[in-house]
Amino acid sequence: MIEFIDVRKTYGGESAVNGVSLRVETGKLCVLLGPSGCGKTTLLRMANRLVEPTSGTIMIDGEDIMRSGPVELRRRIGYAIQSVGLFPHRTVAQNIATTPKLMGMATGKIAARIDELLAMMNLEPQRYRNRYPSQLSGGEAQRVGVARALAADPPLLLMDEPFGAIDPINRAEIREEFLALQRRLRKTILFVSHDIPEALFLADRIALMRSGKIEQVGTPQELIASPATDFVRRFFGGDRRMLLLETIRVAEMAIPAGTADTENAIAAESTLRDAMLALMSANGEHLGIRDGNGRMLGTITLGDIQRHVALTMRADGEPSR
Amino acid sequence: MSLLDFLHEYDQSLLIALGEHLRLVGIALLIAVAAGVPIGAWIARDGHRAGPVLLAANIIQTIPSIALFGLMIPVLAIFNHGIGFLPAVIALILYAQLPVIRNTRVALRAIPPATLDAARGLGMTERQIFLRVALPLAAPGIVAGIRIAATMSIGVAAVAAYIGAGGLGIFIVRGIQTTWDMMTIAGAAGIALLTLFVEIALGIAQKMLTPKGLGVRGGGR
Repeated sequence: MIEFIDVRKTYGGESAVNGVSLRVETGKLCVLLGPSGCGKTTLLRMANRLVEPTSGTIMIDGEDIMRSGPVELRRRIGYAIQSVGLFPHRTVAQNIATTPKLMGMATGKIAARIDELLAMMNLEPQRYRNRYPSQLSGGEAQRVGVARALAADPPLLLMDEPFGAIDPINRAEIREEFLALQRRLRKTILFVSHDIPEALFLADRIALMRSGKIEQVGTPQELIASPATDFVRRFFGGDRRMLLLETIRVAEMAIPAGTADTENAIAAESTLRDAMLALMSANGEHLGIRDGNGRMLGTITLGDIQRHVALTMRADGEPSR
Repeated sequence: MSLLDFLHEYDQSLLIALGEHLRLVGIALLIAVAAGVPIGAWIARDGHRAGPVLLAANIIQTIPSIALFGLMIPVLAIFNHGIGFLPAVIALILYAQLPVIRNTRVALRAIPPATLDAARGLGMTERQIFLRVALPLAAPGIVAGIRIAATMSIGVAAVAAYIGAGGLGIFIVRGIQTTWDMMTIAGAAGIALLTLFVEIALGIAQKMLTPKGLGVRGGGR
C-alpha cells in the first residue's frame, strides 16, 4: 500500500504538486491521469524520492519513505519509464539483472529469474537473453523495461507511461498482456498515463489530476458516470457513454441460459464496447459469452447493453437524456 | 651520406631521442587525462561551470607553443627549472586540456537522460551510475579526445627541444642550425611516424572500448 498525505512540491514558487492525498491499496493499480503538466509524473517520482517533496508525507506499507535512504528505497520499488532507458551497452539479461545484482542476489538465482521474467513477458529467453537493446523492436524494449522493473520482485511498481513509445497496435497488445500479468502478480502499481482508453482499461482506480491537484479519484466507471467536477466531465469528452462501455466487461452482465451460436461467442474479458460491435455485425440478436476454457457463460443483447448504460448513468446522478 | 648511412650512424641517438619524446608525451598525457577527464565530468553536470572552464582551456590553446615555453621560463626559474623537462611537460598538459575536457563533456552529455534516470530509479548510487553506465557509454568519445591530445602533443613536444627538453625535436633544431637537411628530415620523419603509430594504436583502443551493444544493429526479429 502506498499513501500520499497532503504532498506538495514547489519549484521556486511554482507549485507542481499542490496538496495531494491519495491512497493505493495493496494489489491495486491506480492510474494517475491528466493533461501534460498536471503534476502526475512529479507525484510519481516523489514515491521513490527521485523528486523530494517540499512538504507532506508519503508512506509505503505504513512506513514514511523519508526514513530510508533514497538508494535503498528505490531498490525495493520497481521503476519503468516511457523512454524505457535500457542500458545500451548491456544485454537484455544484464539489463534485467540490474536491481537484483545491486541487492546482492546470487548469480544462479538471477539467471533463473531472468528467464522466468522473459517468459512472463512473452519473450523467448533463449532468443532474447543475449541481445542488445539496439537489436530490439520498440515493443520488445518496453517488455524488457517492464521485466527489469519486476526483476527484484518489488511489491510496489512505479510506471511512467511505460507503453507510451510504441505504435497503437502493439500498445493494445502489450496492455492486454500486462493486465493479465497484473491479475496474476497483484502488485501495487502507480501508473502515469495521459491516454484515456489505456487508463480505463488498466485502472482499478483513476486519480484524475489538474494543475497539481486531484480532481477526482474513483473507479473508471465512477469518473465517467458521475464526474465530480466540470473538468472531469470535459476531460472525458462528449463520448462518455462510449467510454463507459469500455469500462464494463461482459462477464459482469452475462445473462445465464439463452441460446446463442457458440461459433461467434465473445470472451468474458471483452468490454461492452466489443460486445456491441460484435452484435451490430452479427446475425442473431443474442451474442454468446464464453470463459477462457470455451465454456458458455450466457448471452448478451443490444437491449441489455442499452439498459445497463442508462441505469449506470442514472444511478450515478447523471440525467439520462 | 645516404639516409641509410645516416640512420646507421645515428641509430643510438635517434633511439634515445625517441625514448625522450615518448616519455615526455606519455607522462604529460597521463597527467592531462587524470586531470582533464574529471574536469570534463565536473562541467558536464552543470552548464554554468562549463563556460569559464572551456574559455580558459580555449585561451591556453591560442597561445603559440614557443611563446608558452618562453612565458614559463621566468616563472619556473624560481624553482630552478626554467628550462628542460618540467616546463615542457607542463605546457603539454595545458595544451591537452581542451580536447580532453571538451570531448569528455560532450560524450557524457550525449548519454540519453532516460538512461541515467532509469539507472537512478533502479537504485544505483551516483558513483555506480558514473562507473557502470556513464563512463562506459562515454568511453569512445573520451578516447577520441585523448587521441587528438596525443597527436597534438607529439607535435608540440618537437618544439620543446628549444628549451632543452630533448626528444626528436633535437634533430630538427640541429638540422636547421647546421643546415643539414638529412638531420632535419630524420627528426621530422621520426615524429610523423610516431604520430601515425600512436594514432592507429589509440584508434584500436577506441574501438575496443566501444561497448558491444553500441555497434550492433538489427540481427534479431
